Amino acid sequence: MKKRAVSFCMAAFMAVGMLSGCSSQTGAGNTTAESAAAPSTTASITADASGNQQKTAITFWHSMGGVNGEAIDALVEKFNKENTSGITVEAQYQGSYDDAINKLKSAQIGNMGADLVQIYDIGTRFMIDSGWVVPMQQLIDADKWDISQVEPNIAAYYTVNKTLYSMPFNSSTPILYYNKDLFKKAGITEVPDSLPGIERIGDDLLNKGGAGEVISLGIYGWFFEQFTCKQQANYADNGNGRDGAATAVDFDKNGAGVKTLTAWKELSDKGYAPNVGRGGDAGLADFSSGKSAMTLGSTASLKQILNDVNGKFEVGTAYFPKVSDDDKGGVSIGGGSLWALNNNDAARQKAVWEFVKFLVSPESQAYWNSQTGYFPITTAAHEEPVFKDNIAKYPQFQTAIDQLHDSTPQSAGALLSVFPEARQTVETEIENMINNNGTPEDAVSKMAERINKSIADYNLLNK
Amino acid sequence: MKFKIVTRNLSPYAYIAPAMAVFAVFLFFPFFKTIYLSVFKTNKMGQAKLFVGAGNYSELLGSASFFNSLLVTAVFVLIVVSVSMLLGLTTAVLCHQSFPGIRIFSTAYALPMAIASSSAAMIFKIMLHPSIGIVNKLLSLHINWISDPKYALVCVALLTAWLNSGINFLYFSAGLSNIDDIIYERASVDGADAFQKFFRLTLPGLSPILFYTLVVNIIQSFQSFGQVKVLTMGGPGESTNLIVYSIYRDAFFNYRFGSAAAQSVILFMIIMVLTLCMFRLEKKGVDY
Repeated sequence: MKKRAVSFCMAAFMAVGMLSGCSSQTGAGNTTAESAAAPSTTASITADASGNQQKTAITFWHSMGGVNGEAIDALVEKFNKENTSGITVEAQYQGSYDDAINKLKSAQIGNMGADLVQIYDIGTRFMIDSGWVVPMQQLIDADKWDISQVEPNIAAYYTVNKTLYSMPFNSSTPILYYNKDLFKKAGITEVPDSLPGIERIGDDLLNKGGAGEVISLGIYGWFFEQFTCKQQANYADNGNGRDGAATAVDFDKNGAGVKTLTAWKELSDKGYAPNVGRGGDAGLADFSSGKSAMTLGSTASLKQILNDVNGKFEVGTAYFPKVSDDDKGGVSIGGGSLWALNNNDAARQKAVWEFVKFLVSPESQAYWNSQTGYFPITTAAHEEPVFKDNIAKYPQFQTAIDQLHDSTPQSAGALLSVFPEARQTVETEIENMINNNGTPEDAVSKMAERINKSIADYNLLNK
Repeated sequence: MKFKIVTRNLSPYAYIAPAMAVFAVFLFFPFFKTIYLSVFKTNKMGQAKLFVGAGNYSELLGSASFFNSLLVTAVFVLIVVSVSMLLGLTTAVLCHQSFPGIRIFSTAYALPMAIASSSAAMIFKIMLHPSIGIVNKLLSLHINWISDPKYALVCVALLTAWLNSGINFLYFSAGLSNIDDIIYERASVDGADAFQKFFRLTLPGLSPILFYTLVVNIIQSFQSFGQVKVLTMGGPGESTNLIVYSIYRDAFFNYRFGSAAAQSVILFMIIMVLTLCMFRLEKKGVDY
């Protein structure tokens, strides 16, 4: 009996260890957020100590790794050196977009976030609802800054109730990349502009062109959203979540979801679009290695694709494909924008605005564009010599700019509080449909059911 | 006199107080907080907002996705534990003799222990890539290892098994060197062949360490996380959505701590029952 009690205790103990293994992750998460936020506090203390010079230190969280991260660091360094108001910006890389917003949530629980954060497009509704931010419009109005400098189609995405909530910074749209050499070999002169169009040239590309795959189409929720925009349909109700918080998705009711998935499945069933995996980058490797004739990707990937292809073949770019030939919609933008957090400190807020102004200046934006492939968000950047050189060197980029200008503010895309989760759900169900041979109708109704439940839960708990 | 008795009675508690304090902060508090959260729904800040009683549990028990997670986890644990123990045992037995170069082999077999799961997963991700990965090149296959639900779970499980085999190799090697050589000599004199020696002498001699590694391996494989996060993100579909990964997603991605806590509690119960069963098994199969 005693031994049984002992073994029970041991069993319970081991199992508790298991549980606390999970919770210790919470702890770890918090500590990273803490240590990440710590420099900002120390920085502001030193600023106070030598306050006679009016020095202000602000912390900037971003999600740009690799080449893009280097470009951000260069911009920050330039600002720190050149500004005359004694502002020091500390840029901190916070991991992927998902990581950054999740860290921000944890950090805000402890009230120790940053002053300026870069958040992805689909975090917009969450940020607006959070109550943590100072709308960018407020800073713009206070400074009487001319908002018409910003590309209207980009500003439209971040404008809700006529208020620009965050400053667009790194904006991109998806485009179609194609292998010009394979197209020439297959004797195709016209680049397809719709999914059925891709289907029509599929056999030619495979048989005559010798392509291994027609299109390497990554399973990416963003593409699904863009296909919805292309059909001029809403993703969510309440005016795409722009007139008020969305209460349910709309793509199941207006038929856009089923249409998209039917065309997608068609491509997959005929073997034109094999499953290359999940995520925005999943299709790029096949394209760069010359295996697939086309891929969909962000304009921000242009630089990397050209680097990877390295002259093996000629890369062409075209508009993001429509779902059916008679669709008339445009694309919405993706990427990130800059959010000013409310830290109740006027000096820091002013510093944040100075820094934002610097980042969106034509000069910085032209540099940023040439280093990364994101759009310059101000039209004036088009006049900068850096930009002109860049577009002469990479004419493929012109497609992206034309596509943006051909789009309208009405295609701005949806805002949804639970968008990160919704995107994951969409990807899971598309994957299930392709792998298990499900029907598009079934996939769409499952998506709608799961996302609607999350929205209902969210709206109930976060009034 | 009286004072002495009081201090004598209190002193044991004073000795265990520091350890208890550590446990209280890092084990008991999170444990009870988890149970507390599991009966609430949380808002976007992760604060308990709405009391739902057993609501989170009944939602889980009615969800196909949760049962899928349980099933996937069961298959995963089965593959990982059996393969990693078999691998550890085989390598340990092979290395339990001396020949030139033995150290190179022992190091190689123990090495997975030193590799972090996420970095191993990064390397595997490239190796398993359908068009540029070395696995398909070597086997001249065109299998999409981690995007095909047929293979994804097996790939993640085999990677984990390999990672866990290092420490098993070490345990088994230690266990083997504890078995007295004399009994093998006696067995040889009695005419036992290699198989008989292995099954009649080596395995029973290893049984305490086998039991220990079994328990540790099961718990460890339930906790596997990094590989899934890096390699498959729970996909394709939900075919590698292990329960720990599903907890992580619910808590830190969807910010539904309530549901995540409820899953943790269910996981806790499963592991506790399993461990109890194993301690029962210990009485029958283990000779000390």
